[in-house]
Amino acid sequence: MTILVAEDDMITLKTIELRLTKDGHKVIISQDGRDALKKIEDSSPDLIITDIMMPFSSGFEIIGAAKKKEGKKIPIIVLSAMGQENVVLEAFELGADDYITKPFSPNELSVRVKRYFPSAIKI
Amino acid sequence: MPGFLLTFFLTVDYYFFLNVIYVFLVLLFLLSIFISVFTIYKRRVERNKKLWQQSVAPVISEAIFYNDEEEERVDLLYISYKIEMLLKNSRFRQYIINELIQVKKTLSGSSNLNLNRLFEILDLDKDSFRKLNNMKWHIKAKGIQELGIMGQIKYAKEIFWLTNNAKEHVRNEAQSALVSFYGFSGLRFLDLTEYPISQWQQIQLLNKLHHVKPANFDALQKWLQSPNESVVIFSLKLATFYNCYDVYTNVIKCLQIASLQVKLNALEYLKKMPQEDTSEQIIHHYSFENKAYKLAVIHALKDIGSEKQIPFLLKKLHAKDDDIKAAAAKSLSYLHPLGNAFLQTHLFADEYPWQAIFLQITNERAA
Repeated sequence: MTILVAEDDMITLKTIELRLTKDGHKVIISQDGRDALKKIEDSSPDLIITDIMMPFSSGFEIIGAAKKKEGKKIPIIVLSAMGQENVVLEAFELGADDYITKPFSPNELSVRVKRYFPSAIKI
Repeated sequence: MPGFLLTFFLTVDYYFFLNVIYVFLVLLFLLSIFISVFTIYKRRVERNKKLWQQSVAPVISEAIFYNDEEEERVDLLYISYKIEMLLKNSRFRQYIINELIQVKKTLSGSSNLNLNRLFEILDLDKDSFRKLNNMKWHIKAKGIQELGIMGQIKYAKEIFWLTNNAKEHVRNEAQSALVSFYGFSGLRFLDLTEYPISQWQQIQLLNKLHHVKPANFDALQKWLQSPNESVVIFSLKLATFYNCYDVYTNVIKCLQIASLQVKLNALEYLKKMPQEDTSEQIIHHYSFENKAYKLAVIHALKDIGSEKQIPFLLKKLHAKDDDIKAAAAKSLSYLHPLGNAFLQTHLFADEYPWQAIFLQITNERAA
């Protein structure tokens, strides 16, 4: 499965990429919101993992763009240090499917991702 | 041309005017050179940081998952020649320390142990430890913080002696580090600390303890008798939060300590874990106390009192202070078998301040 990860912190991004690659997914990475929006159009991922606070475009814009995209429904997992109720609610109202607050466990993220692709799990 | 400008040009010293322009141009030139040099420097720093980040990110992310397959395999982590060369640069070493700390704040779970191990493999613990001997307190505090976050228990002995340092930030970091290492056992610094523990630090310590399994409250009795008032207050908070019934007698003794904060915290404990004699104990010294304590006692009776305290509260209805009167009326409305109806008949409900007090209690109880 192709997963787009949008996260401005390089080490967090690489960590998620490594975890998901080990799980057998194809991972596309993006360090800013504008690049992520472009990659949503170009590569049509099966799932998006996005931070909220990023340069150029926020995670909210990424959720909005992914939900407006015609064709397949792309599940979105938000991964953010912002745990305030209003931010979480806004993400869900815009169409996010899951919300993980930092600090997060990469192994927990891996399990949550697997829920979206039950038939494609690499043992 | 306006008159004042004409006067200015006719009277100004021409050479002085030229000199001013000259100085201004020189300053402008120097400023532009400074801005250019600073911009180049900033760009170079940013570029270096980006290059460092690209080199470090794979090493850290590889280390995070190493124990997935094999125990202790992080020891075999491949550190490239490039990283080895970069590690000779002290700025890079500090950069990688900062990155590891940042990652530890972002990630949770089993990966933390591997990050601690990577910190040691790269000998970064020695850099942080060296900071402990620095004369500047903020560098010393940073060193302790780094060792604490990166779980370097082997330096606990050196850190322990800094828990009683004269500089607040140094001792705060040292205390937090010990609690991170040992949980409740790390609180042994309370035996020797002579300086006050700030409210903020108390919250920080409680927050750290919140994530570990409660254990070892044996020293609480000793801490409740500490000559350091903040240690007593912190111990009372611990005893209240963790429901330590066995220190009840020591907490009662705290009511005799002069500090209002100690007494108020002791009251919080007694409200949460009252015994048969608690209400009588807290009103024992009532008449010698100040208003804040008196109000706290009357409020506490609302929660832990019984009909036995009704005569005491009835007397307080005749106190000179309106706040005491209102508090006593409120507690009576809870303790008296007739509740609010008692107030309505007993008080002069149509007179000031009883009218307002009665209305307030009725509204509060209805809410």
